[in-house]
Amino acid sequence: MSFERSNSSRPGRFRKWPCGLFLLTILAAVLVLPALPEGPPHARTIEELPAGPMQVKATAACAECHEPRIIVQQRLTKAAWTKEVDKMIKWGALVESADHDALVDYLSANFGADQPPYEAPRSALAKVESKKKAK
Amino acid sequence: MSFGAAPRFLASALGVPQDDAIEIPGEDGMIVRSFRFVDLESPVEYFNSWLTPVPHFFVRNHMHEPSQLTAEDWRISVGGEVEKPSTLTLPELLKLEAHSVVNTLECAGNGRGLYRPQVPGIQWGKGAVGTARFSGPRLRDVLQRAGLKSTGRHVMFRGLDEVPGKVPPFIRSIPIEKALDSDTLIATHMNGAPLTKHHGFPARALVPGWIGAASCKWLTEIKLLESEFAGNFMNPGYRLPNQPVKPGDAVKPEDTHAVTALNVKSVIAGPSDGATVRAGSIPVHGAAWAGEAGIAKVDISTDGGATWIPAKLGAEQSRYAWRVWSYEWKAKRGEFSILSRATDTQARVQPQAAVWNPSGYLNNAIDEVKVHVV
Repeated sequence: MSFERSNSSRPGRFRKWPCGLFLLTILAAVLVLPALPEGPPHARTIEELPAGPMQVKATAACAECHEPRIIVQQRLTKAAWTKEVDKMIKWGALVESADHDALVDYLSANFGADQPPYEAPRSALAKVESKKKAK
Repeated sequence: MSFGAAPRFLASALGVPQDDAIEIPGEDGMIVRSFRFVDLESPVEYFNSWLTPVPHFFVRNHMHEPSQLTAEDWRISVGGEVEKPSTLTLPELLKLEAHSVVNTLECAGNGRGLYRPQVPGIQWGKGAVGTARFSGPRLRDVLQRAGLKSTGRHVMFRGLDEVPGKVPPFIRSIPIEKALDSDTLIATHMNGAPLTKHHGFPARALVPGWIGAASCKWLTEIKLLESEFAGNFMNPGYRLPNQPVKPGDAVKPEDTHAVTALNVKSVIAGPSDGATVRAGSIPVHGAAWAGEAGIAKVDISTDGGATWIPAKLGAEQSRYAWRVWSYEWKAKRGEFSILSRATDTQARVQPQAAVWNPSGYLNNAIDEVKVHVV
């Protein structure tokens, strides 16, 4: 398609224009216009657990080894959280004895079985070059 | 320009909310279950081809990836119950005759997030599975070069995962019979290219038909043992109750057995759950696999399980690989529940509900998507 054709006075050509113009406009929007501003870049990792009396201690104890996102996606009963906390202490999580029950309460309150489901984020779509290589 | 900077209407058409997308080099629109350490799930709509491209292939790490790993410095040792303990460099390993196996690799915990009550662990949906062509020397060739002793009954794998805190190292073992199978590999390549770091560069075990955890990544030590390796990731990890238990009940370790081969299973790749589609001819499609068995058939129901119709199986097949399948559904307007149910060559049938277990393994319930036809 060319701009010259758009100036055609032939009725048949004229009738085709609105569709062609529309497609051309879309193409121009994709190729020429800058992308709409993106939202704030999504952090690769969640670095903090939710606010609460044990937020700082829980984050320090757990995030030493893994991202808090692994905790955030759980929906467990208090009994299950108790087992998890005990296992993690055995595996090196630094939790003072006096904080044990408060930590279990905090995790159970924030990530209990009654909480709404966690929605995991997506990774960005790969660059076109990467897609070609994958084939 | 990456699609990550695409206008919103394009990103929306591609199904990925790019405002929230996380840049992970080499990965393409994956569900991020965790970044530190890396656990990535494939969206089910990617299961539309026999081979899964590497950027679409799920990643399961138990701990951190090796930070100091180079092809030049990497070595693999073979020891334990062998006559001639040895160490190989990567060029030495690559000189051995290579063999290829197309294998469906599935994390034992795939579908864990769908069990009720929920159990701890990565909350995988349906996409911790993929199929690739893995290539590399046969494990048995490497073992036989070292001279197997008759006392070597189990083969232990140790990877170079970086262990945080006092977490037990990721070491597992497989029985000698499976290790000597001609399709069990030390894989160096995936879909024709060297393994990427996320997938175990420069070499991983490939134990076809078995849970992904058997196929240890960043493999650096192979050791022949007289008995099964005794460590956290063999026991209590990766075990199933000997008898079904009531959901939520605890199970004693002595009442369990190791998880090995995968179950019979199918998943619907399209249409997507919750989709609105136009009445008429709608392709229903997906993939089905059965570990060490083959897929005999996949049946589809579009009326919530009242009636079943066989799907057409794709032509591409290999012993340990999934079959893609499709069914052309003539849909009328309304609300529908589409189900897929696989049957394997051992007559195992996907169950209505998976057997709940405390670690959330092997969830192979009949798959279901709900669609609105207009």
